[in-house]
Amino acid sequence: MSDQPLWISFVVGFIVLNVLLIGMAYMTWAERKVMAYMQDRIGPNRTGPFGLLQPIADAVKLIGKEDLIPKFADKRIFVIAPLVSFVTAPLAGLVIPFGDQVTIAGRQINLYATDINIAVLYVLALSSIGVYGIILGGYASANRYSLLGALRSAAQVVSYEIALGLSLVGIFIISGSLSLVDILNQQRQTLDLFGTGLQIPNWFIFYQPLAFVIFLIAAVAETNRLPFDLPEAETELISGFHTEYSGFRFSFYFLAEYISMIVISLFAATLFLGGTDGPIADGAWWLILKAMIFLFFYIWLRTTLPRFRYDQLMGIAWKVLLPLALLNIVVTGFVRLAFNNQLW
Amino acid sequence: MTPEVLVFDILAVIAVIAGIGVVVSRNPVHSAVALVVTFVNLAGIFVMLRAEFLAAVQIIVYTGAILVLVLFVIMLVDMDDLPEFHGGAPLQRLSAIVIGLILLGEVAAAVLTRTVVGQPGPWNEETIAAAGGNVQVLGQFLYSGYVLPIQAMAIVLLVGTIGALVMARPDEPTTRAGGRTTGTISLGHSRGADLVALPSGAPPARVIHREDMRDGLVMVTSADAYTEHAAWAGTDVPSEPGAAEYPTGAGIGSEENR
Repeated sequence: MSDQPLWISFVVGFIVLNVLLIGMAYMTWAERKVMAYMQDRIGPNRTGPFGLLQPIADAVKLIGKEDLIPKFADKRIFVIAPLVSFVTAPLAGLVIPFGDQVTIAGRQINLYATDINIAVLYVLALSSIGVYGIILGGYASANRYSLLGALRSAAQVVSYEIALGLSLVGIFIISGSLSLVDILNQQRQTLDLFGTGLQIPNWFIFYQPLAFVIFLIAAVAETNRLPFDLPEAETELISGFHTEYSGFRFSFYFLAEYISMIVISLFAATLFLGGTDGPIADGAWWLILKAMIFLFFYIWLRTTLPRFRYDQLMGIAWKVLLPLALLNIVVTGFVRLAFNNQLW
Repeated sequence: MTPEVLVFDILAVIAVIAGIGVVVSRNPVHSAVALVVTFVNLAGIFVMLRAEFLAAVQIIVYTGAILVLVLFVIMLVDMDDLPEFHGGAPLQRLSAIVIGLILLGEVAAAVLTRTVVGQPGPWNEETIAAAGGNVQVLGQFLYSGYVLPIQAMAIVLLVGTIGALVMARPDEPTTRAGGRTTGTISLGHSRGADLVALPSGAPPARVIHREDMRDGLVMVTSADAYTEHAAWAGTDVPSEPGAAEYPTGAGIGSEENR
């Protein structure tokens, strides 16, 4: 636990949340631009240079829309549901370490809001609360398509959360800690590969390549992105759980989806790619660069792969990812035991 | 009043109110939502007691998995189909009261032996910190001293899973294939193999009856008289050669059944 005063943590947390919101706005812009170039189009280019003001225009448009609540909707739950998604999405960003410490006005300030000793479980717990926004929103809309989207989402998130959590167990076995700061600090050493003098960074992707692949797939499913966006599947469910949502209530879901993409990218970069560790000049920029690679990967997937069929989706989770994750845990455990706490 | 007590009071009051909401709300989904609120507030209390691991597990397992499955089922059931959701038969009420009292007694006994009688366990904040933290202590305990109970629980859960699968399975494989009324569109679907192959060739042309003709139009006398009439077949053409392979549906417009 850090010994800094509580108010500094609050300030750092406030800054992190706002940076996430701005990052989200430009994530939508980047997604449109990248998709456009991949599809041989130009993308937004009218509002500001390179269309950089497009997110602001979108926000103004969404605020201006009529706020509709269906007649037969369960009104209280209908109002609360998008907020559940929106509130839980950025909170996971609070445990991600953006660096060590900086000294501002004679005070040592940690570059993370808090270092809790179960940070990884905290992130998983938040994502499992976030799914209630989708389920309840779909239920409260009193619309069959929305309900179907909600049911799909419930089944999908519960299934993939198991794969997501189990893929991280290998990292816990190696690092012996659930704290992201500890996990990061362990990755900042250099690794002498088999004593040959070949230096590689001590990133956990080199120990856990299988877990990395499982985590990546499960993370895409967990954020309901293509090719796993069965809960909203425009072509069959008319965008599923948020069919009945309009205006700013819809944008809460939209914000939540993009923020959780950013957060899970930061999370993946910290867990597997050494976070702020880089070849020269360690710092938050390396973390941001690595997270952007993941975000690009998300967009790339979206433009490349068609949506899965529902039974394929469940089949991947239970018949492929889960056994592989369990195998990974067993192998990691044996290796750790055999090498007696020091790998290679 | 220290801030910690204030925070505890807020969490506890919300948890109790939400707990009451679980029991009294008329809509089962509202009950489930109230239960979510209770769980989250309980997790907050666990955090205040320095049991962060328990809090995270409470959220991940109960809120994130079990309650989602409960909601999954509840959402599919219409409220009006559940007349006895509240109240219920006298026997149900009686058994609910008895079981509730037994559970309350168990919890009370556990709390009383630990606090009032004064048999605190070996763990306090200092010993836990010395052992490396909450997670480490829990892990060591569960997987050294309590390995057998954990294995027994795992086996019980496995048996439960297999039992559920057996109960959910249809009785006979043959009734499954025969009972299928809707086909699948995907041609590459592996499950499509057990269905009857689609008939090939053009369907037989229907004979239009003289009495159905009114001023060049065909007036249909019954609802399904011409429903399987192919658009490409001529109106007065009798059955073409090759039409015989086409399986005539029972009764629908075939000459014998009119």
